Amino acid sequence: MLGVFPEVVFTVAGIPVRDTVVSTWMMMVVIVAVVLLLRKVKPTALEMLVTFLYDFITEIMRRPADPFLPLLGSLALFVGVANVIGLVPFITSPTRDLNTPIALSVVVFMAVHVYGVRVMGFMPYVRSLASPIFLLPLEIVGQVSRTVSLSIRLFGNVFSGEIIIAILFALVPLIVPLPLQGFNIFTGLLQAYIFTALASVYISTGLAADSSSESVSKPQVEEE
Amino acid sequence: MAQMDPGTLVTIVTIIVAGAGIVIGAITPAIAEGRAVVKALESIARQPDSAGDLRTTLLIAMALLESTAIYVLLVVLILLFANPLLDRFFT
Repeated sequence: MLGVFPEVVFTVAGIPVRDTVVSTWMMMVVIVAVVLLLRKVKPTALEMLVTFLYDFITEIMRRPADPFLPLLGSLALFVGVANVIGLVPFITSPTRDLNTPIALSVVVFMAVHVYGVRVMGFMPYVRSLASPIFLLPLEIVGQVSRTVSLSIRLFGNVFSGEIIIAILFALVPLIVPLPLQGFNIFTGLLQAYIFTALASVYISTGLAADSSSESVSKPQVEEE
Repeated sequence: MAQMDPGTLVTIVTIIVAGAGIVIGAITPAIAEGRAVVKALESIARQPDSAGDLRTTLLIAMALLESTAIYVLLVVLILLFANPLLDRFFT
């Protein structure tokens, strides 16, 4: 289908490996290499990046980001690099395949419950999900639909951007697709921002039961 | 219309529905986002101190609004590139 859908490159023991998976591996190598290089050459740049992510997550979750930084920070890095790497010729961006965003949002879905159980304990967390018992079905629908929408939002944005560029490239291959590619960089980074922000919001709502009294009372204390 | 074969009919209907769908699906979230931005800008103009808080909330809300347009786009793309109804007629 002319590069609209990801193609199977080779199969390992009957499991088809698509080109998006290959580019994910390349991306992982690139990220690790850049981080190792930066650690040797310019550690301040790395520190700035981590501080930026830390401040950003702290601002959204309204609590110290220390326990969540490894997961959410690497999600932001992964999605950001994955969206932008599609600009390199012959590399399809991994988020173009619906399976990659679905895997990422399943990770977020699991993390919400893992952090919730870790902070509140198992039984209080389950009880907080079904506080009036008739709200449990709504809670389940909410959990599933926000996981689906998280993945489809990322996929749809990246995919539509690439389709528009492919169509323009078929019409006017010379200079016209360039501004749209710049716009694609912007959209990709914005989507990485939004993905991380939504993941932090979901995780912090999973912890909400014990922090609601805290976060409500804190600003009042500051005002006084 | 009577002697048209069903595959062609499905193709025509698909194209019309895809075009109409993406138009409606682009207009409504755009209006909603515009209203959200207007309110946020008014609040920032009234209280410039709350700009940071508002920006984060606004971006998240815009992402949620924008995703409805993305859903429409996804349905349209499925209709155009991987139409499940056409497989009945052209196998």
